Amino acid sequence: MLRYLLRRLGWLVGSLFLAGSAVFFLLRVLPGDPAVTLLAVGSPPEQIEAIRHQLGTDRPLLTQYGDWFGGLLTGHLGDSLFTRTPVLDQILDRLPVTLPLALSAFVASILVAVPVGVFAALRRRNATGVAVSGLAQLGIALPIFWVGIVVVWLVAVQGRLLPPGGFPRAGWQEPGAAVESLVLPVLTLTIAQASLLVRYVRSATLDVLGQEYLRTARSLGYSLPRALWRHGLRNGAAPVVNVLGVLLAGSLIGTVVIESVFALPGLGSLLLTSVKSRDLPVVQGTVFLMTGTVLLVGLAVDLLQRLIDPRLRGQA
Amino acid sequence: MPSPTPGRTTPGRHLRRRLSLLTASAAIGALLLSACSNSGDGPSGGAAGANPDATITIGSLNEPTTLNTVKGGNTGHAQVLLRNVVEGLTVLTDDGKVEPLLAKSWDVSPEGTTYTFHLQPGVTFSDGTPLKAADVVATLKRVTSDESTSARKKDLSIMKTIEAPDDSTVKVGLSQRSQSFLFYLTATGAAVTKAGAGNPETTVVGTGPYTVGGWKQGDSITLTRNDKYWGTAPKNKEVVYRFFKDTTAENNALLAGQLDLVTQVTSPDVLPQFENRPEFTVVEGTSTTKELFNFNDSVAPFNNVDVRKAIRQATDRKALLNAVWAERGQILGSMVPPTDPWFEDLTSIDDHNVESAKALLAKAGYANGLTFTVDYVPSDSINIVAQGLKSQLAQAGITINLNPIDDATWTDKVYSNHNFQATIMTHVNQRDLVWYGDPSFYWQYDNPQVQQWVKQSETAATEAEQTELLKKVARQISEDAASDWLFLDPAIKVASSAVSGYQKNLTTDSFYVAPISKQR
Repeated sequence: MLRYLLRRLGWLVGSLFLAGSAVFFLLRVLPGDPAVTLLAVGSPPEQIEAIRHQLGTDRPLLTQYGDWFGGLLTGHLGDSLFTRTPVLDQILDRLPVTLPLALSAFVASILVAVPVGVFAALRRRNATGVAVSGLAQLGIALPIFWVGIVVVWLVAVQGRLLPPGGFPRAGWQEPGAAVESLVLPVLTLTIAQASLLVRYVRSATLDVLGQEYLRTARSLGYSLPRALWRHGLRNGAAPVVNVLGVLLAGSLIGTVVIESVFALPGLGSLLLTSVKSRDLPVVQGTVFLMTGTVLLVGLAVDLLQRLIDPRLRGQA
Repeated sequence: MPSPTPGRTTPGRHLRRRLSLLTASAAIGALLLSACSNSGDGPSGGAAGANPDATITIGSLNEPTTLNTVKGGNTGHAQVLLRNVVEGLTVLTDDGKVEPLLAKSWDVSPEGTTYTFHLQPGVTFSDGTPLKAADVVATLKRVTSDESTSARKKDLSIMKTIEAPDDSTVKVGLSQRSQSFLFYLTATGAAVTKAGAGNPETTVVGTGPYTVGGWKQGDSITLTRNDKYWGTAPKNKEVVYRFFKDTTAENNALLAGQLDLVTQVTSPDVLPQFENRPEFTVVEGTSTTKELFNFNDSVAPFNNVDVRKAIRQATDRKALLNAVWAERGQILGSMVPPTDPWFEDLTSIDDHNVESAKALLAKAGYANGLTFTVDYVPSDSINIVAQGLKSQLAQAGITINLNPIDDATWTDKVYSNHNFQATIMTHVNQRDLVWYGDPSFYWQYDNPQVQQWVKQSETAATEAEQTELLKKVARQISEDAASDWLFLDPAIKVASSAVSGYQKNLTTDSFYVAPISKQR
């Protein structure tokens, strides 16, 4: 197990490095010069050159890459080109918004989708079950920003029950207001993610329902819910856990859209702002961190699956 | 009077937004609203019942990328800082005039190349230190230094000598007479800041009525009243600019009462939500924001004046303006808004005439039609303009391919590398007609006569002479169809009826917030 873990960690570091390098070079191939976005219309070319020099974007690509990589080894993600403040500080500043948002939506999705999915599987032949499946299908098809706009319109603008967006300036020092401002974004993200998960839970449950061990359990006198709880859950969990990894990564990436719709000062909106101004170190740092999280989640999923399903443990 | 929506004007509503308190605050809100609507009197009215300690929350789509006054190319930069946090020797007023600010007065030498500024007495920086002539000298040197990327750097490099004969006098020697010098000094880059105070990208110490209380990037900037301000004290205690990436989010915040006003409405489609509701005020003013359809005048087919004229004549500007702004704003006949001193109505030149456009195209050798690509940065209104142009020009046999790109790509491709055929662009600045005198500017219009007039206008002996020359320039570029000037955006604001005193126009770079007051 330890050897397996070490090997997986090695892979993780390698993938992260490759992903970071790919992002580095891709960003520099894309059109758009940060120096030019800093300048006013009508600036002469000498001035653009001077700014490139100030920003260090006129140096050879490999030198810049070396700097980035060297910084990475010592834990530095560089400084923002425009505000000259460390990228890491900016990211840490945003996590109190993005982490609660992504994690709450993730947990809420599981809490909603698991019972609903099992229900839809058990009632697959009657109207309610079909309706639930249909709703889940609709939830997957609707674009997340559209769901967000509708939710804001109904609850915040018409109903005036919650703020339509924004985050208290004092942050979590105003816990009530902070929680309130996250309710609608979490709801929106949950609608999208839970819909997806319901389909997986439903099909995993259907799978289990057809298995012989379940029939055996029932012949031993277990009721269907009890048989599912004792034997079905564990067996159905493995494929669902796999989807959970994708879901958690999706929650994180979904925040880019959600934070824009709800005007939240999180990681996603930092990414958008920086892409617009071509603040390359910030874009790079944010994408790097998001990639790292997704890879870590993948690793956690693998480990979890091995815990759930002993048959996997023998495999390398 | 229709019953007010409860909960809107509750003071300190950021703190009060608790679900449990909702009913209570709704009731209080209704009471307060009915109380203040008795004393309230319109957007620019008096301050009866105004709260001197109010926080004004302003929605904006333009966030500065830096607080460094000699950097930062976007409009949000000046809207937040200029006149609010930092002040210049001179100031540009809403109706386009240059007036004194930190300079109480000035003398100009007979040959017009030496300016002696007498500073306003009793001015202090927000850190408490008094303003001295040396600070002004340092600022003016900084705007033309290597560090500077100010829009006015090149223009202000005519300053040959900058000296402080005593603590209250600044003497500037110019390399040539400059009719625009006092106007150039109204720019953010020439606003006086205290040197050597922290990270210049995130801190700024000025002499203005506010200090920057906090900047949460991508979210908000807070301006806090400077109690030591030398001039008229602000009518509020704090101003929060909240930045949105999305107009829908901004409108929702306004509808839900999270904002007191927005700097600018970018599309009239949202207005019906606010009109005829007592808790909102919709105000229309004028702007210097020009929507342009520009050609790369140096490449075929746009190096042929007949082609350019044909395109102008094929354009129905009135229809475009109505499609975007529904009876608001005005069409343009050249690069000059009415608040620039050299404005003349030139809309009769190349007026809409499809038959004449076809004839001109045939004359230029494009009887069988013409196809080209238009690069543009999409926005609500520019999308409408692009689609409108496409269908209008098609009637004259011109096919355009629309190529939406992002801002940074536009700057790279069109602005820096001139690698384009035509583009749709918004130009916001005042007095920017002079760009037609620079053949290296992105639209590459090259007319030596125009260049000479622009040059002469700058060194003219009097303002009247300058104005006459620039009127000639405006007419000439219009007759040359150097670009297709579409229309001037209106400046539309939506505000809560509880606030008053905000500026109606968008004719200056600054968004002056000190006179804004809010009912209790």
